Amino acid sequence: MSFLYETIIQITPQHVAMWIIGGLLIYLAIKKDMEPALLLPMGFGAILVNIPMSPVIEDGGILKSLFQVGIEASEAMPLLLFIGIGAMIDFGPLLTNPKLFILGGAAQLGIFITIILATLIGFPLVDAASIGIIGAADGPTAILVSQILKSNYTAAIVVVAYSYMALVPIVQPAVVRLCTTKNERKIKMRYSAKQVPTLTRILFPVVVTVIAGLIAPDSLSLVGMLMFGNLIRECGVLKSLSETAQTTFANIITLLLGITIAFQMQADKFLQFETLIIMALGLFAFVFDTVGGVMCAKLMNLFSKEKINPMLGAAGISAFPMAARVVEKMGIKEDPSNHLLMHAVGANVSGQIASAIVGGLIIGLVL
Amino acid sequence: MWNLLAFENLTPLNWTNVLKALTILWQGLLAIFIVIGLIIIAVKLINGAINKIEKAKAEKAAQAEQETKTE
Repeated sequence: MSFLYETIIQITPQHVAMWIIGGLLIYLAIKKDMEPALLLPMGFGAILVNIPMSPVIEDGGILKSLFQVGIEASEAMPLLLFIGIGAMIDFGPLLTNPKLFILGGAAQLGIFITIILATLIGFPLVDAASIGIIGAADGPTAILVSQILKSNYTAAIVVVAYSYMALVPIVQPAVVRLCTTKNERKIKMRYSAKQVPTLTRILFPVVVTVIAGLIAPDSLSLVGMLMFGNLIRECGVLKSLSETAQTTFANIITLLLGITIAFQMQADKFLQFETLIIMALGLFAFVFDTVGGVMCAKLMNLFSKEKINPMLGAAGISAFPMAARVVEKMGIKEDPSNHLLMHAVGANVSGQIASAIVGGLIIGLVL
Repeated sequence: MWNLLAFENLTPLNWTNVLKALTILWQGLLAIFIVIGLIIIAVKLINGAINKIEKAKAEKAAQAEQETKTE
C-alpha cells in the first residue's frame, strides 16, 4: 500500500512554494492578461516539475528531452520563435525615419548598467550578464543569452523578463514623467505616410544581417532568424509561408517554449535569495532602458532642427507593441491632437533589432 | 532548506568583475551604435538610389509622353 503515499511523503515546503508560484503565474496570465502565452505554460510547468518523483524531469522525461533538444543543444526554440516574430514586424515606420534606430540602441542602456550593478552585488560575470539581458525586454533573447552563458538563474531570469514586459504600462510612464518636462512631452511630430519602396523592404533584412554579422558575429543567430522571418514577409512571393510563420508556427513554438523553460523551475534552482535580487535588478534594467532612450532623444534634440518628442525614447525598448502604445497614450494625454503612434512603432521595432544585436554582443564580450 | 539568508553564491564588490562589466559597457554601447550608424547610412543610401531611379523613370515617361503629343 506504500505506493499510494510514497510520493506524498516526499512533498517538501519548497515544492508547495513552487506550486503557489506556478498558480500565481497562471492567475496573472488569465486574470490580469500578463503575457499569457508564456506565463500560463510556465506556471503549469512549474507545478508539473515540482511534484515529487515527477517523470517529466527524469532522463528520457518529456520536459527534460524537450529542454535538451530544444534549448540546451542549440537554443533552437527561441531562435525559431524569432522567425515568427520577424514575420510579424512591419519595419515601414522605421524605414521612413531611420534616425529612430538610434533610440532603439539607446534604450538598451539598462542592460549594461544592470550588469555593472549585478557584479557589484556579487554575481559572477556570466550570471550578471544574463540578468542584465532582462533589459532587452525580449523573452527569446533572455533565454538564449542565459543558456549560452550557462547561467544558474535562467528560470528566474525568464520569469522576471516576461513579467516586467507585461508591466511596461505601469513601469514606464512614471520614469518618462521623471525624465521629461510637460513642454517636452507636448512636442508634436508630423507623420507623413511615405510609401516605403518594396525593394527597400526586401534589402533591409539582408543589409541588417550582413552589417550586424560583420560587426557582432555572435548576434547572427538572433538577428539572422529575425531578419529571415522579415524577408519571408516582405518578399511578396511567400504569402502562405509568411502567414504560417506569423501564426501557426509562432504559436507552436511559443506553446512548447513556455512549458520547456519550466524544466528550470525546479524548487532547488528557483527558490533562492538571488531570485528576489534578480526581480529587483530586472526592474532596474527596465527603468534604465527607459531613461537611456528618453535621454538620447533629448540629446538628439540639441542637434536636430526637427524636434523629437523625448517620450519616443521609451518606445525604444523591445517590448512590442506595448511600449509604443504606452507612448501613444501618454502623448494623447498631454495633447489629444498629438498622435505619436507611428513614430513610436518605428522606435519600438528598432528596439527589437537592437536588443537582438546587444544579446549577441553580450555573448561575445563575456565568453 | 531555502537559501534565503545564504550569500555563498555572491561575492560582493569583486572589482575584477566590475571592471570587466565596465569594459562590456563601453565596448557594447560603441558596437551597437556603430552597427546602428551603418544601418542608417545603408538605408539612406538605398532610399536615395531608389528615389533617383524612380525620378529618372518618371522623367523618361514624361518625356516620352511629350514626344507623343508633339507628333
